[in-house]
Amino acid sequence: MTVNVHTAAVRASGLSRRYGSTRALDEVDLSLDRGITGLLGPNGAGKTTLLSILATVNQPDAGSVSVFGLDPRDAAERVEIRRRLGYLPQELGYHRHFTVAGFLDYVAILKEITDRRRRAEEVARVMAAVSLENRARTRIRALSGGLRQRLGIAQALLGQPDLLILDEPTAGLDPEQRLRFRELLSDVPGDPVIVLSTHQADDIAAICPKVIVLLQGRVCFAGTPAKLAASAAGQVWAAAERDQKAHLSWRGADNLWRHIGDQPPDGAELVAPTVEDGYLLLSHATGAR
Amino acid sequence: MTATGSAPALHGPDAADPADRYLRGRTTRSAAPRTVLSLARVEGSLLVRSLLVLAGLLAAGGVVWLNIRSAEPLWWNFGWRIGLGQVVLGMAVLVAAQLAAGRARRNGMTDLYASFPATAGTRTLAHLAGLLGAVPASLVLIGAVVTVAQLLGAIGTPSIAVLAGGVLLVIAAGAAGIAISTRFPHPLAGMLGALVLFASSGQSHLPWAAGLWLYPWASFGDQLGSLPGPLAGYPPGGAHALELAGLAAFAGVVALALTMRRAQARARALVVAAGIVALALVCLAGAIELQPIPTRDLNHLINEIADPAATQHCTTGSQVRYCLYPGFGSRLPALEAPVNAVLAHVPARPTRPLTLRQVAGLSLPDSTLTHGHPNRQVSRWDAQANRTPANRIGNSAGFPPASEVFLPVGSWPDRGGQLADARFDLALVAAEWAVRIPSQAIGSIPPEAGRGGAKYVPLACVPRGQAREAIAIWLAIIATHPSVGELTGGRYGGGYVGVKVGNSLVPTSLWAYPENGLAVSGPGLGPQTTDAGYLLANAMTKLPEQKVARVVRDDWNRWLDWHTTDAQLAATLGIPMPRVPAIQTQQGRPEVDLLCTT
Repeated sequence: MTVNVHTAAVRASGLSRRYGSTRALDEVDLSLDRGITGLLGPNGAGKTTLLSILATVNQPDAGSVSVFGLDPRDAAERVEIRRRLGYLPQELGYHRHFTVAGFLDYVAILKEITDRRRRAEEVARVMAAVSLENRARTRIRALSGGLRQRLGIAQALLGQPDLLILDEPTAGLDPEQRLRFRELLSDVPGDPVIVLSTHQADDIAAICPKVIVLLQGRVCFAGTPAKLAASAAGQVWAAAERDQKAHLSWRGADNLWRHIGDQPPDGAELVAPTVEDGYLLLSHATGAR
Repeated sequence: MTATGSAPALHGPDAADPADRYLRGRTTRSAAPRTVLSLARVEGSLLVRSLLVLAGLLAAGGVVWLNIRSAEPLWWNFGWRIGLGQVVLGMAVLVAAQLAAGRARRNGMTDLYASFPATAGTRTLAHLAGLLGAVPASLVLIGAVVTVAQLLGAIGTPSIAVLAGGVLLVIAAGAAGIAISTRFPHPLAGMLGALVLFASSGQSHLPWAAGLWLYPWASFGDQLGSLPGPLAGYPPGGAHALELAGLAAFAGVVALALTMRRAQARARALVVAAGIVALALVCLAGAIELQPIPTRDLNHLINEIADPAATQHCTTGSQVRYCLYPGFGSRLPALEAPVNAVLAHVPARPTRPLTLRQVAGLSLPDSTLTHGHPNRQVSRWDAQANRTPANRIGNSAGFPPASEVFLPVGSWPDRGGQLADARFDLALVAAEWAVRIPSQAIGSIPPEAGRGGAKYVPLACVPRGQAREAIAIWLAIIATHPSVGELTGGRYGGGYVGVKVGNSLVPTSLWAYPENGLAVSGPGLGPQTTDAGYLLANAMTKLPEQKVARVVRDDWNRWLDWHTTDAQLAATLGIPMPRVPAIQTQQGRPEVDLLCTT
């Protein structure tokens, strides 16, 4: 499988990373283009490690990374990558005594937006993008978890980054906020490279033209969500009774059992697979779940 | 399965799109200086508005006030006392800077911060530059003390080097806080650092010069407050400021070195060079601080103290001479006011003139003054200093000459009270002189009071039961108009002193004054008066002033006779003699004084 090698903006080759005896990444190769790429995988699959390496925060034990043709191992090029980067870590703390606007202004300086007027415009822009403009003077400690997550996304958007890395950005968001987040990502100007790590397969299906499935530190799938869904074609059935032989089964809202497996249960009806089905089947196949 | 399938060429002509090539070409014009400035502006404004720093400023003001309120406002002393407040402010700035610099790690934002183009070194540099935000607080402290001191009529001029040393101390403390945060972001680490600063700022037991160098924030038991003028190099303010600048720079370099591990070799070399320069500054300052005060300057000081008349300028007005050290001329009106107010009510002045003379005392040997000088030289100075008028007060060498009142440099009434502000003490000694209460009498200390048998020494006499004492107190009261509460509180707050006159115990009291209880030393060793005299004078103030003044004026010579009793005065005024509370024997053995019989 090949992903548009010639225009790939971000490339990783043979990335490996260990934490003690745990292998977080195992010779990962990938290429990312402009547009949104979803990174799907269970907890401990290596998503956060991979994203932190791409964000130049972490260094691999082996392998190499190229971001817009720049090598993060070189100090000067690493800084240049960071100038083009927006990053939302998985677990982000906040300076709770800062105001929303004050925090964004501070981060904008750290992103080297030193011109005051431009900084003010940029802060206003990202606050509007995440609908926090009415909370500009609110202290962060007074924000709910969802509002803080929006603030985290806002700081990542500062400076109109060419590479936007969002590690589980929808965690803690309610359904409406998730929809607003999808809307927001769809409107990010400049056609940046966006990498979105999530557990939510429906988020991937909704907004990501590409998806990468990471399981046990390895890239197990890279392609479109449709292809991921299609990989489960002929292995998803609906039935009135539970089939113990199925790899996975759960009762849906229509009161029918949905089965994923190699063999159809008795009286089962073949149904169209979803991205989630494809992902679950893949993870079952690799023994990751 | 991999995302790329066949391995792509990661570098090379086809690896990057045109935008990538553009990026490669523009790497990397450093934006660090502008980022540092912008960040420093934010950090500085956060420090300016920090409640911690504000609280530190208030506490610093309190500490300085406690240290100067009972001291004569002399700039060569006050400048260094401000430093005590700067230490307190420095503690607050240390904690605030440590909290600010450790903010990212403490708040779980290390990964996010690591993804920014502003490096850890840039951020540390910005935090260090942001310490300028603590300067306004330091300057406010200086400004407040300068204003108060000038309002109090401070003598001399503030030393810029000494004041700058205080500001640098605050900055150095902040830099230390930032250095601490690079390894220990927990808030307790900053508090611990402040505690160490506080604990080590106490009185040092190290020799003066070494102590000043090793603990430039510590306080020392110096004699600055009793000098008649500034003494160059005591302490060396310029070198002290230089050392604090070096320490601030060194702490900053340590903070930078700890955060620039991944920096380029050139940047690391710059930091190392800066560290070497900072240490060189500290060593250079130390070399200057370890220099002894020049012999010529110390000789001049000792001479100035031992023989004040040689250098003082005297002014005579209304039969009273005021002899003051050069530079103290502005004190004259404040001294004349209470004296003249007393004399205005006196019908006839004594024939012998009254002299009010400034005196300065030195306690030698004192390593803060004489370090580096040979012992023989120090002994000579000691002997010379012991002959100074001020050092003779209270020891067997003698009292002030008759009709001479000593004004010790550095002694100062407690501020804020009417009693003190009006210089009631000065009015009282002037009144005692006016009613001819003798300044001294030769007496003996019996074996049980003195050690090693009876000794003949000068003793203050006690005007027991004499009308003139009540008149003197009354004159001082109507000349300065202290409130009744202050007068009573000040008197009994000063301490009970019973004296034995012959076989009688006479209740007496001192008015409360700072330092040794006296701002002046003169006739009768200052305002030590009997309770009977005070109570009668107080009763006299209840009568119409004109009536009392007429009684006093009409029979002035009779009242001045030591044989005329307070009971006779009370009878003439038509008031009963106030009842004097008996002495409580458990209040200690009374001193032995003599009756004033001239």
